[in-house]
Parts: sequence; C-alpha cells; structure tokens
Amino acid sequence: MKAIDYNPNPQRPQLARAIRRLERDILRMGALVEQSFRLSHQALFARNLTAAEELPRLDKKIDRFYRQIESDCTAIMTLQAPTAQDLRFLSAFMQLVRDLERIGDYAEDLAEIAIKIFPYAPHPSMPDIEAMSLHAQSMLATSLKALGDLDEASGRRLKHLDDTVDDAYDRVYQTLAQQRDVPGVVEPIVLLALAIRCLERMADHATNIGQRVAYIVTGQRS
Amino acid sequence: MLLLGFFLGLAVGIGFWVWQQVQLNRYLGRLLRPLTSHSYKMGLLLIPGLRQEIAMVKQNQQDLQQSLQTYQDLLDFAPVGYLQVDEENQLLWCNRQAQKILYLQSWQPEQVRLLLELVRSYELDHLIEQTRDLQKPQTGEWIFHPSRDDAAEMATIKSFALRASSLPLPNGQVGVFLENRQPLLDINQLRDRYFSDLAHELRTPLTSIRLVAETLQTRLEPPLNRWVNRLMQEVDRLISLVQSWLDLTQMEANPNMQLQAKAVELRSLITSVWETLEPLAGRQHLSLSYSGPENVWIKADQARMYQVFLNLLDNSIKYSLPSTSIHIEAKILSTKDNHTASPILEINLIDSGVGFSEADLPHVFERFYRGDKARTHSPQDGNSIGAIVGNGLGLAIVEQIILAHGGSIKAMNHPETGGAWMQLQFCEVMANSLSQDYS
Repeated sequence: MKAIDYNPNPQRPQLARAIRRLERDILRMGALVEQSFRLSHQALFARNLTAAEELPRLDKKIDRFYRQIESDCTAIMTLQAPTAQDLRFLSAFMQLVRDLERIGDYAEDLAEIAIKIFPYAPHPSMPDIEAMSLHAQSMLATSLKALGDLDEASGRRLKHLDDTVDDAYDRVYQTLAQQRDVPGVVEPIVLLALAIRCLERMADHATNIGQRVAYIVTGQRS
Repeated sequence: MLLLGFFLGLAVGIGFWVWQQVQLNRYLGRLLRPLTSHSYKMGLLLIPGLRQEIAMVKQNQQDLQQSLQTYQDLLDFAPVGYLQVDEENQLLWCNRQAQKILYLQSWQPEQVRLLLELVRSYELDHLIEQTRDLQKPQTGEWIFHPSRDDAAEMATIKSFALRASSLPLPNGQVGVFLENRQPLLDINQLRDRYFSDLAHELRTPLTSIRLVAETLQTRLEPPLNRWVNRLMQEVDRLISLVQSWLDLTQMEANPNMQLQAKAVELRSLITSVWETLEPLAGRQHLSLSYSGPENVWIKADQARMYQVFLNLLDNSIKYSLPSTSIHIEAKILSTKDNHTASPILEINLIDSGVGFSEADLPHVFERFYRGDKARTHSPQDGNSIGAIVGNGLGLAIVEQIILAHGGSIKAMNHPETGGAWMQLQFCEVMANSLSQDYS
C-alpha cells in the first residue's frame, strides 16, 4: 500500500502487516461485489437468467467477508491499540465494508427484479437505465481503485460522478411516472422504478466509499 | 647465562610463529579444499592460491549474474504472461505480456503493492492462495473482466477467458503464468456456427431430393425401383444425420428451454421403444428383460426420453451377438446410499455384445466418434435394408438429453457379460409407491 511507505512508525511491522492483510480482504470483497454488480447487469439487460441465479450464492460470500472483516478490525483495534493514521484506516475500513455489502445486496435485488421482469417486453427506457448501470459500475471501479491507490482526489471526484446518476434517475423516474393509458399490467413499470432506485443507491454507496478514502488520507470528513 | 635466556626466548617466539603459520596453512588448506580439486602444496603458495580462488569465485558470480539477467530478459519477452508475488501477495515482478493481459501498464517495478490493488481479480488471488496452501502447482480458468474507470470504456472493453498456471516458490512466493484463451474459444464458436449453418443449408435441398425420389418410387416398376429404393435409403440417412446434428446443436445451446416435463412411466416407455425395435431385435433373436420396481415415474420430456432409450437399445441391438438378451435394471437409490437430498433413480442397460474397447471409453459420447469395434463389427445380415451403420451422433444426443434433465450417464464394460453397460442416473424421481419388486 502506498500509505504504508510513508507511515512513520516502522517499529510496528506487525500492525502494518495486519492492516495490509485487511486491505487485501477488502479488495477481495470489492472484486466479488464488482462481479455481482456485473452479473446483475447481465441479468437485467442481457436477460441472462443463469447470471441471476448465481447471485444469492455470491451474496452469501460477500456477507461472510463483511462479518470477517468487521471482526478482524475490532480485533486489531483492541489488541494492537493503533493510533493516528492506522486508527483512521481501521475505522474507515469498518464503514467501507458496510457500503460494499449494501451494494452487493442491491445487486441481488436487481437480479430478483430481472427474474420478475423477464416475461415482459423491454421498456423504451431500458437504454437509459443500462447507461445508469454502466455508470454506477464505473463509479464502483473508481472507488475501489481510489482505495487501492489511496488517491484522495479520485475519492472526491466520485461526488461529481454521482450527479450524473442522480440526473438520470430523475429523468427516468419522470418518464415512468408520467406514463398514461398503460395497456395491460403495470408490473414492468413498477419493477423498473425499483430498479432505478437500486441503481441510484448503489451509486450513492460507491460515493460514500470514495469519501471514506478521502477521510483516510486527510483525516477530514467532507 | 643472559645469552641462553635470550636464545630460549627467541626459540619460544620462533616456535609460536611456526605454530601459527602451520595453523594458518592448515586453515587455508581446509578452506580451499572444497573449492578446488587440486591440492596445493603447503606453504606460502597458499596465498596466491587463495587469490586465485577468490578471482575464480568472482568470475563465477559474474557468469551467474549474466545468465540470471539473460533468463530475466527471456521471461520478460515471453509470449505468455508471468507474474510473481511474495508471501503477502504483493506484486514483485511481472513481464510485458502479463502487463498487456491484465492492463497493468501503470505499474512501476520500484513500488511494491498488493496484487489486488492493481488487478481486482478474486479468482487470481484465490488461485495464488490455494497454491501457497497446498504447495503444489495449480491451474485455473475463468472469465477475466478488466475493470475500467470510465463508463464509456466499460461498454466497449471485452472480457476474455484467462488460464493461469501457478507454481509455489521458496519463501512463500508464488509464480503465475497467464494465457489468454479467448481466441481459442472464439475459433471453437465460429466452427460450431459454420457447422450449424451448413446443416441448415443442407436441409432444404435434401428434402427436395427426397420428394423427387418419393415421386419416382411410385412411378417405377420393379426391378427398376430397386435403385430408387437405395436412393431413398441414403437420402433418409442424410436427412436423419442433418436433423440429429441440428437437434444436438440446439440442445447444447439452450439446455433447459425446450423440455416439456411431465410424468413419464419408465417401464411402459421402455416397452414401447422395444416394440418399435422388435423387427430388428427379432432378426437377431434378441430378448429384453426388465428388473426393477413396477411403477417408476420420472419427471421428464416424453419424446426426448423415448429418443434416449431408442438410441441406447438400437446400439445394443446393433452390437449384440445373436440369441442373447439385453437386461434393463432399474433401482431407486435412497438418500442413505447417495449423497444428495433426494432419491436417485439408477437405470442400468446391460447387453451381451462386443462391448467398448478400453481406448474408446472416454470418447464414446463425442460427436461422430465411432469406436474401433463399430468400424470392424459388421451386422449379421449385411446386405439387408435394415443394416444401416450409425452416424456417430446417437450417444452424443443421449448424453445431451440426460444432461438437460439434470442426470448423468456413464459407459462401461460389464464384467460378467463382456458387453456394454450404460448407467443412467436421474434425480427427477416422482414420489411413487415403492411397491415390492415382483419381477
């Protein structure tokens, strides 16, 4: 980790090693969350139901990582009594994995929506929603990269990227809500409204991750 | 008196000096002996010998350094990707191809960072962990999705199949070789698509030919219609081949989508298949015997299961010796015997024919695979109309259908009869009355 290089207490190599191991676990969890987001995208937009069926299993793995990382963090905090930047690392990590776990859960929700929406014809707003999903995925990738590089600027940049997703959310919501004289069942519209809500929340959680990274580096909460 | 003392002191001093020289020489000799095969004469010649030794060791080290550099350059230039991680999974070194495959262009050799920071691949990390735990070389294949920061790039960048072979190194380090398997998969897909397209294209002309042949058949009198009959035979063979190929491709493409599952009773299905094949069986005086529960219901597609048993029994008839019998045994393995939650139905089809040759056994379910026994074994009535040699797709179709139903099939040679032994296992068994086995 880049930060460890300018970490001013080389006399605690054990703590540094423990934090590095923790970072590895978080990045592993991040890779799994990225994978589940990708699968939910496939399920919803490519109508790939096999991808949708894999998600519950993947989500269980993600939850296991979440619990393990949380307990590891508390163990290190009680046993090794870190200070200053190390403490910031640990408290930020504990919050970060919460956001990652939420993104994983939302991906599972998207898969359920994909299964329910499968019998219906694709809605005209699908391309916009697909763009939202791709943007949210790139935000997650940016946030994880910022975590790996401990790049404060990247972390703060996510706030601006979130604006794109929020605007798209408002637009698509208006389109869906203002639909008149809907023939047949309204279920697809309801499901799509839920889907864009999920995507907007996923983007928000990715932004939170970026904020945490900035906190680790500067110690300031924005 | 003084002189004596002086000389005594001198003698003692000289004695010490000589003893020290002897010790030094002995020590140097011991030091040099493992390095060289020559034996040096004791004495002052040891010092130049030592100098020579040191020069030789230095030269050796330089040569080793050079060859190390050569190997490093070779590895850097290699067409397969290579990366090396230390015991904390930090990336120590990766070659150019690895940088290209994993999009690691931003990595600089000086900074030591976690591999996961640079390439967020769970499978790669998992493989490295496994290698380190088991201390044995491992391989893994998975689809690698390069991650991009930009949403526009995300839509365009392609995922590809990656194969990694990892090797445990000393000090907890692991070396991983990476290959991009996507071109191979693409070629396979292209080839399959070509074949399917070809089969589709062949179907229409074949149907037309058949229609014409049919018309000719009605208009010609014997002995002229003998040739048209032969023509019809061959055209039918081609049509069935093309149709089987298309069915097989379709089944492989979407395995579960076309099954119309309903309750199918096994014994009556087998009986009806045997009735269809009765003429062929009767010629060889073959008989069928069934042992198992009376009423076994499975949830399956009736037409497809009919095809399965038709193909299997047809094979048995073709390769059985005359006046033998074909046994079908069905038994339900309870949850105690097998390791799954639901009961499994096991069907064993045993004939007393020529069986499979050992070399063929792993390949019998491949498309167009005809074993040696198939090629050399001629049907008993070689010239009659019924002796059509198979097209090599029968078992492939059987396997696809069984797999689509979530079951499994195995081909073996039966130890007692020496014939073929096909074992099918189904898990879609419906609750049926486990009646006594009266057969």
